[in-house]
Amino acid sequence: MASIARQNPLLRQSCLSAFRAPWATKNVAQAVAFHASAKKQILPPLPQSIQGTMNDPAPIPETHPTEGSYHWTFERIVCASLVPLCIAPFAAGSMSPVMDAIICSSIVVHSHIGFHASITDYFPTRRVPKTHTFMNWLLRAFTLGTAVGLYEFETNDVGVTEALRRVWKA
Amino acid sequence: MSALRSTTRLFASSKPLFRPAVFARSYATVDALSQVSATGHTSNKTIQESKTLNVQEPNPSEQPKIKTFQVYRWNPDQPTEKPKMQSYTLDLNKTGPMMLDALIRIKNEMDPTLTFRRSCREGICGSCAMNIDGVNTLACLCRIPTDTAKESRIYPLPHTYVVKDLVPDLTYFYKQYKSIKPYLQRDTKTEDGLEYRQSPEERKKLDGLYECILCACCSTSCPSYWWNSEEYLGPAILLQSYRWLADSRDEKTAERKAALDNSMSVYRCHTILNCSRTCPKGLNPARAIAEIKKMMASN
Amino acid sequence: MARLSGLQREVLSLYRRCLRETRKKPLETRGNFMAYTRVEFRKHATVSKKDFNAIEFLLRKGQRQLEMYSSPGIRNIR
Repeated sequence: MASIARQNPLLRQSCLSAFRAPWATKNVAQAVAFHASAKKQILPPLPQSIQGTMNDPAPIPETHPTEGSYHWTFERIVCASLVPLCIAPFAAGSMSPVMDAIICSSIVVHSHIGFHASITDYFPTRRVPKTHTFMNWLLRAFTLGTAVGLYEFETNDVGVTEALRRVWKA
Repeated sequence: MSALRSTTRLFASSKPLFRPAVFARSYATVDALSQVSATGHTSNKTIQESKTLNVQEPNPSEQPKIKTFQVYRWNPDQPTEKPKMQSYTLDLNKTGPMMLDALIRIKNEMDPTLTFRRSCREGICGSCAMNIDGVNTLACLCRIPTDTAKESRIYPLPHTYVVKDLVPDLTYFYKQYKSIKPYLQRDTKTEDGLEYRQSPEERKKLDGLYECILCACCSTSCPSYWWNSEEYLGPAILLQSYRWLADSRDEKTAERKAALDNSMSVYRCHTILNCSRTCPKGLNPARAIAEIKKMMASN
Repeated sequence: MARLSGLQREVLSLYRRCLRETRKKPLETRGNFMAYTRVEFRKHATVSKKDFNAIEFLLRKGQRQLEMYSSPGIRNIR
């Protein structure tokens, strides 16, 4: 879906219009050039800062596997495991609470990683260090809130898969 | 793959109005109505072509095919002046088939102040990289759309500091290239003291990597690189990095990997794939980055 | 004196670095370098302090020039 939307300006416009008032979509140009137009510039460029002379290499960051390769591997494992996990309870028809707990925790972890990546992208430490820290703590709070909420739902209520099934049947 | 790509390009450039959506290479769109994609320098206040002087074709032919080119102009000698879009009308009958021919003709016959980089005019040097009709490409490999009703818009590479007109400042790009140590690192000699040999299979791994000409089209089309160009290396540099990681003769693979193993250098790539889409040489930087990620995960 | 903006401080720091570099030049031509620095900065003194793009460009250009002229091979300037 996303790729088709990217290909076709009209579709893209309709995708974007979900976030805007319907009358605002008249401005097709603005919608088409969503991330390229000047008005929507996310991070305006800073004055160029070049460390050392022009012929020095750019500084090489420190090796940090927990933020680099291990992080990526973990993220991919969570991602890949979500696919069978989401299908399994409906295919098997069993509503085990253990399964439910695993699904919930991996969804929480997955969304936390995803949002964390967006924060690193759009609130870089280099440019907005305070906002970066604030957003990270906000994200942690939200993740914790979601986790607690899901835990309550699992222990005191029916659980996610069961709830989904009831909604489906209703 | 590359053959398919070039036919796509031909098709896309000759019939821009009727191309099916599948073939359209549209991303970071800069269409005729909107403004320039955020160039590092004062793009949001670009003076539109309607307010600037239109330079006409000096001597059109009998049945002229007049096409308008909108070119981004900014003169560093008057730094307080805003950048502007200047229109040039050219007779396509008297112009070569490629965008670079049009630019050279403008510079030779109409406006000698127009500035752009060019050298080989056949897609080997990577000097003439610019944003043409919203696509980062080499002017020498980009055909002029024959549809004369539609004007072509030429901008410098997006999100670069502009030196003058269409010339971007690629200092940091080259500094990043230098930081990955793009040369063979090896301590041991071969037994017979002759050259370092490779099997045909090992050599084959470098196909699709060594052809990169570092034109910076891919890096400047990558949104991730736009936002984090100071730390993220960008597709072009990562492709080069993989070229040395994949080289069987290189002995510093572990060091190379360690240099990339942090949150910014590689992992700001979110597989947006603008890089593979825009590459004027038909290479696939996104695949190289994926291979790097695989290599890093498997140690 | 009013508090300076980040950009103003950067301009001043560039000026200071330029003057410091002149001290590494031979005694007899030092005056030329000093005068050149001063003329280059004076030339653009009229740029509005809100014209960030122009100032940023001039800073970039100034840094390039400083890097070039600070090479020990350059002994005189006219």
